[in-house]
Amino acid sequence: MYAISLQSFSFHPLSSSNPHNKPKKNRPPLFISTNPSHLNVLHLRDLFFSTNLSCHRFPHLDSHGRVEPVDLHKLRTAVLHSSVVVSVFSRGEFCEGEGRDMETSEFGIGELIRRAVPVSESNGRLVGFGRAVSDCGLTASIYDVAVIPSLQGLGIGHMIVKRIIRFLTSGGIYDIAALCSQKERLFFEACGFKEDSLGSTTMMYTQAAPNCVKDDLLVKCSGRMMLLVPPMRKPVVSNEMIPIDEKGF
Amino acid sequence: MLPNASLAPSSMRHLHFSACHYKVSDMIFIPSNAYSRLMPAKKRHRVFPLRASFWDSIKSGFLKDNTTQVIEPPLTTLEEEEPLPQEIVLVENTQPDGTNEQIIFSSGGEVDVYELQALCDKVGWPRRPLTKLAAALKNSFMVATLHSTKKSSDTEGDNQKQLIGMARATSDHAFNATIWDVVVDPSYQGQGLGKALVEQLIRALLQRDIGNITLFADSKVVDFYRNLGFEADPEGIKGMFWYPRY
Repeated sequence: MYAISLQSFSFHPLSSSNPHNKPKKNRPPLFISTNPSHLNVLHLRDLFFSTNLSCHRFPHLDSHGRVEPVDLHKLRTAVLHSSVVVSVFSRGEFCEGEGRDMETSEFGIGELIRRAVPVSESNGRLVGFGRAVSDCGLTASIYDVAVIPSLQGLGIGHMIVKRIIRFLTSGGIYDIAALCSQKERLFFEACGFKEDSLGSTTMMYTQAAPNCVKDDLLVKCSGRMMLLVPPMRKPVVSNEMIPIDEKGF
Repeated sequence: MLPNASLAPSSMRHLHFSACHYKVSDMIFIPSNAYSRLMPAKKRHRVFPLRASFWDSIKSGFLKDNTTQVIEPPLTTLEEEEPLPQEIVLVENTQPDGTNEQIIFSSGGEVDVYELQALCDKVGWPRRPLTKLAAALKNSFMVATLHSTKKSSDTEGDNQKQLIGMARATSDHAFNATIWDVVVDPSYQGQGLGKALVEQLIRALLQRDIGNITLFADSKVVDFYRNLGFEADPEGIKGMFWYPRY
């Protein structure tokens, strides 16, 4: 099946065979799904906001260092055009600020039944997410991996990345990239990512408009960056076989 | 937790626009028929045709040219149009003997994978499986090509059309894009053609408000991209790749 409900609320000690195993003893029941129709885009936007994630790599930050909420329409478009979408749900009471306190919950029949019902996307809360964009042939890039702050450090993010990789490799994609900031680098290293062995340099388009802005220059806003749209150049027409001057372009 | 009813000001414009056509609730969920296309291949059957259809089925869930299957009718009017196929003559020169050569930029057109493989051979790139290459081209956000057409002055003569350059970009159509496989025939290099290819891609991406444009540059071409407005490791952002441990 495509969805797995992990009802493991067991107290396994740290496994010595896999150094990346986090202690599972505090991990709540989780439901992990690769079905994009389980996803509520509003909840996703809230998840991103709670983890201070902006889909822009150079976001506007307010005086407290917080990002703006993500544009809903663009978020939906991005999810629709992602080849892999992984959502993790958990029951509300295990998440910070939600419902009742674990310690004082009753243990009557009602409570037992409620706990016996597996977590699903309809009764759970979105606590983790990750997606990847692929050309379905050669390459893929992982974006926007997020887990709510109260459940971080429990291996859920690792689980999300593993699931994305499994999905991609089962479709024959092995060239998987992830763009990471300094903070995210350790996380992806723990998931088995390294800098390119062929020594390629990661580059991003950051060209801003020059100080003396001409009227016909177009700029596009991306987070806090004002990116210059390269102007159209006139075609070069010549009647002789002469080397084309670069300025013609 | 943000209250559902209020949206940040930057979203207000979109909300108003969308409210004219359909309820906000239509925007919140992904259509359930999108999932019926997601069928992971059975792991044991690593059969070549099955793998191809696996990606076909995923792709068809998100097909650009098949939006009516996935997205409810009201949204098709709002979904931005695909970059229209366009052809631009970049260079035209006429030889003294009357032969006319044009270098034509094109996007959205068909690319012959055999021609492309021959071009990649010319620049010394390692070979890649043709079916994977074809699938990658089909599912890229944009594929830009350069063709050289030579017309002889003799009206009876055939026009020779040759693929001399290519660049492609993958994207989620909203925030992120990566440029891959920028290649120009060695005999046509040094004329600014590679620059034109990349600039066209950037223009098309920015027009769709896709602001995170990334690429992974070989050490020899880092300066080429720097001159085009790319910055290496901006603010410490680096690309990392998956290396499985067996």
